[in-house]
Amino acid sequence: MALTVKPAVAGAAGIAVALAIWQAASSAHAAGGSLPAVATVATDLGGLLAEPDFWSAVGATVGIALLGLGASAAAGIVVGVLVGSFEPIRFATRAVLEFLKPIPPIVILPLVVLILGPTGQMSWFLVFLGCLLPIVMQTVDGVHSTDPVARDTARSYGMGSAEILARIVVPSSLPYIGTAMRVSAPAALIITVVAGLLGGGPGLGARLYLAQSGGDYPTLYALVIVLGVLGLMFQGATRFAERRLLHWHESYREVVHS
Amino acid sequence: MTSPHLATTPLEGSLGGEPQGQRPARLDVVHLAKSYGTGDGAKKVIEDLTFSVSAREIVCIVGPSGIGKTTLLKCLAGLQPTSGGRAAIDGREISGPPPEMALVFQDYSRSLMPWLTVRKNVVLPLRHLRLPKAELKARCDEALEAVGLAHAENQFPWQLSGGMQQRVAIARALAYRPEILIMDEPFASVDAQTRFDLEDLCLKIREGFGMTILVVTHDIDEAVYLADRVVVLGSKPARVLRIVDVELPSPRDQIGTRALPEFAAQRTDVLSLIKRPA
Repeated sequence: MALTVKPAVAGAAGIAVALAIWQAASSAHAAGGSLPAVATVATDLGGLLAEPDFWSAVGATVGIALLGLGASAAAGIVVGVLVGSFEPIRFATRAVLEFLKPIPPIVILPLVVLILGPTGQMSWFLVFLGCLLPIVMQTVDGVHSTDPVARDTARSYGMGSAEILARIVVPSSLPYIGTAMRVSAPAALIITVVAGLLGGGPGLGARLYLAQSGGDYPTLYALVIVLGVLGLMFQGATRFAERRLLHWHESYREVVHS
Repeated sequence: MTSPHLATTPLEGSLGGEPQGQRPARLDVVHLAKSYGTGDGAKKVIEDLTFSVSAREIVCIVGPSGIGKTTLLKCLAGLQPTSGGRAAIDGREISGPPPEMALVFQDYSRSLMPWLTVRKNVVLPLRHLRLPKAELKARCDEALEAVGLAHAENQFPWQLSGGMQQRVAIARALAYRPEILIMDEPFASVDAQTRFDLEDLCLKIREGFGMTILVVTHDIDEAVYLADRVVVLGSKPARVLRIVDVELPSPRDQIGTRALPEFAAQRTDVLSLIKRPA
């Protein structure tokens, strides 16, 4: 296309068109009355935003997601570095990890609810489990991909194994860990909401369930919008952190000579 | 500035290499052999190498590519065990990375850490020595000054040209204050002009720091220009074809030295050894 349009302008136009389609579908009763008008949802959203309970639900959801994500990152990186550093352990765990990885955390939700009850603890434990494996596996790959020349350099200067791990292996695994975090951050939010929706954990998921059982369509849509915005913020934050931490990596370098 | 603990005790029972007059051998390689794997499947890379490097000497190892030069350096640097014979510094057998040795790799882009600035790369191998802060800084400043990169200390290696990156790698080695510097095809990945500059830097380092230097290269001109002696390797698995004494006046000069008839004669000497069918 010969037209040059500023990305921000195009983005705003896209949102406007999406809202227009929504409004048209709502006016035409396309979904049989289950799709309220844009203005109705906006009013409802305004009402939500003024409610202290709503904000404590947002706080609970964000808190659980972050706590679970943080715990899985801490544990996942430690486990990943250990597994990746010892070849026999890497081979021994490979098949098991590959098997466990595609199992969505939701399928063990009933079990976790039975053990921990419909609590915040249950929610964050699910988040922890759901994010742990991808982080472990990416860290293992990162450790394994550490350049042998970089290792040899460190060894030739008499650096010990622990120092090589901390100063060479972990930094050079960061791009892999960053990728895992970028994927896990939105997943943490989703798992928290689902744990609330299906398992009765606190936060926006529980609010969604209430709105659903009361047939309160405008609130449902308002909550969906809130969750969408939260998702964007999570993604934005991880991207920002990745850019800061990995500014030296090929994919983020700003100045490249020769 | 001369390293204080440089080469003093003459070696008793030093077996290796050509007789080197009064100079004691610092690095001794005696019947060194290296194979990968064991039994019938073993791949013999180095057959039998014997040579020595004296204090403050520059020795170049040349030979066809794929001959096992890098394997040899890894054995000397204590990064992998030998399969036979011995390598020793001042008579002490090398069994791990020797503290008095530093290694400069061919592939600077992989040996420098991209997440560290130039200064932090230079300081990296010094951290475990637990030096006082002032000395750490002094060593780093001196090394960067010596390679002419004091102005680039806060840049990242990937922001620099290839030649500058290799100079960072050399500065890192210098800051470590090795007595023996080993370089693996150090100037193979830079352009011709930079190559000349780096060769002269190498000569300057020997003068300035009183270092003993071993350089592996496949460039015969470079070997003759730099070295006091050239160890010519041949055949697979590797063995020493001959050790050539380079008799060229010092200090050497890129234009003058290379124009000398003796230079041409010596390089022809080495080249004919390598070209000769084994």
